[in-house]
Amino acid sequence: MRLLAILFAAVLVLPAADEYQWDLPKGFPKPQSPADNPISDAKVRLGRYLFYDQRLSVNGQQSCASCHRQELAFTDAKGRAVGTTGEQHPHGSMSLVNVAYSPMLTWTNPQMRSLEEQALVPMFGRQPVELGLDARGEKLLRTLSADTSYPGMFQAAFPDEASPITLTNLTKAIASFERTIISARSPYDRYHYLGDNSAVSEAAKRGEILFFSEPLSCFRGHGGFNFSNTNQVELHDNGLSDPGKSKAPTLRNIALTAPYMRDGRFATLDAVLEHYRSGGRHDAAQDPLIRGFALSAHDRADLIAFLESLTDREILHDPRFSDPRKQAAEH
Amino acid sequence: MSYNRLLIPVVLCLTAAAQTPTPATASLSVSGDGTSALTLTSADLAGLPHETVSIEEQDGTKTAYQGVPLHAILAKAGIPMGHGLRGKALAAYVLASAKDGYQMIFSLGELDPDFGNAHILVADKRNGEPLFGYQGPLRLVVGGDKHGARSVRMLEKLEVVQVRK
Repeated sequence: MRLLAILFAAVLVLPAADEYQWDLPKGFPKPQSPADNPISDAKVRLGRYLFYDQRLSVNGQQSCASCHRQELAFTDAKGRAVGTTGEQHPHGSMSLVNVAYSPMLTWTNPQMRSLEEQALVPMFGRQPVELGLDARGEKLLRTLSADTSYPGMFQAAFPDEASPITLTNLTKAIASFERTIISARSPYDRYHYLGDNSAVSEAAKRGEILFFSEPLSCFRGHGGFNFSNTNQVELHDNGLSDPGKSKAPTLRNIALTAPYMRDGRFATLDAVLEHYRSGGRHDAAQDPLIRGFALSAHDRADLIAFLESLTDREILHDPRFSDPRKQAAEH
Repeated sequence: MSYNRLLIPVVLCLTAAAQTPTPATASLSVSGDGTSALTLTSADLAGLPHETVSIEEQDGTKTAYQGVPLHAILAKAGIPMGHGLRGKALAAYVLASAKDGYQMIFSLGELDPDFGNAHILVADKRNGEPLFGYQGPLRLVVGGDKHGARSVRMLEKLEVVQVRK
């Protein structure tokens, strides 16, 4: 009887076999998944394979990973993304790092709030063509059904479904994988959350104070543990030469994600700082927070040191987020 | 709503974990109408009775700020509190200013334990450790606020302004 009680207690305490185990540092909340797409190991595994599969493009040339490269913090070093048929996107590829915490996705669409829904845009969008799949992805689904690995992975990810290889489940899996890409191991994290006072330079510490100061107010657009205001679902006109509202992206790994702004118009962090220092267009349409400020060369260097301290180099090589086929080939 | 100080709670959240502080010497000046102007150092504040206000972070954990109630500091500067706070003294406010220029106001009636009894601390510690970098060495922590905009970081000065002369 006592043994039964212990076993019962163990069942209560132990997570379900397929429950995804988040490895989150203190200060990072557990990412939320939609009620109709609870995260699981099997979905994450399937999503990772799909994310890196070039058969998700019309000509077999690109996958999600083409524009979201792990070694570049899941961006692509291009000012404006280029689709599989060569069409240029009006905006740059956004980093997928910590995208699980973004209540609003994309640069300019405040209504896009679901990773599952967003995954359809690059697959089927026509203006511009990104991955360029046919209207309902029927050819892709047939390809996946005929594959040696995918039917089993879909079945494992969606065990209650008789025919799980569907577009809906494909986007659920990709979204599940994307939610796991958590970046929390930068020098700043070691300094701030783990108490390692030597993890960042004194310049970075001074830059942090500037970042959170009233005159610069960088934190108002890029606040919180993710430096992107995870509770904010509004766009803002940040005073670029052509008026328009856009999202304030995360600053985590920002030193790796040049060029900057929604269309890559600034090649360096220094150019970005110069834009905000100058106060933008100085018109009524831009956000009142874009008002300019004094910034000495010393302060500028400190701010950049702070921004560089947000670089998590471990995530650039973390095998959990890399191409699983390459990984298998290497072993 | 455009960006405003509502984002401060996020900043409070950012401070959830244990950052090794770089202690700095605190100096808080208290001046203005009806005060006996004074300047409080870290040691002065450490010698005053402390209370604790807990803030819930985004990950659900709680951060405890320790400090001296704002009304107690005003009382030390000669501002009447409790039974002494009446008449035109109730038409006065405290202007709290930070090193970076940020400012916030609180009415005396809001602070007084016999009136609003707002639980506002001049905090010098977070989870028992000195406040670091952009937080300190002193900050206000306004217990019960839904947003952190009034929890002035890098607090340097309190000025009492009598509106009704």
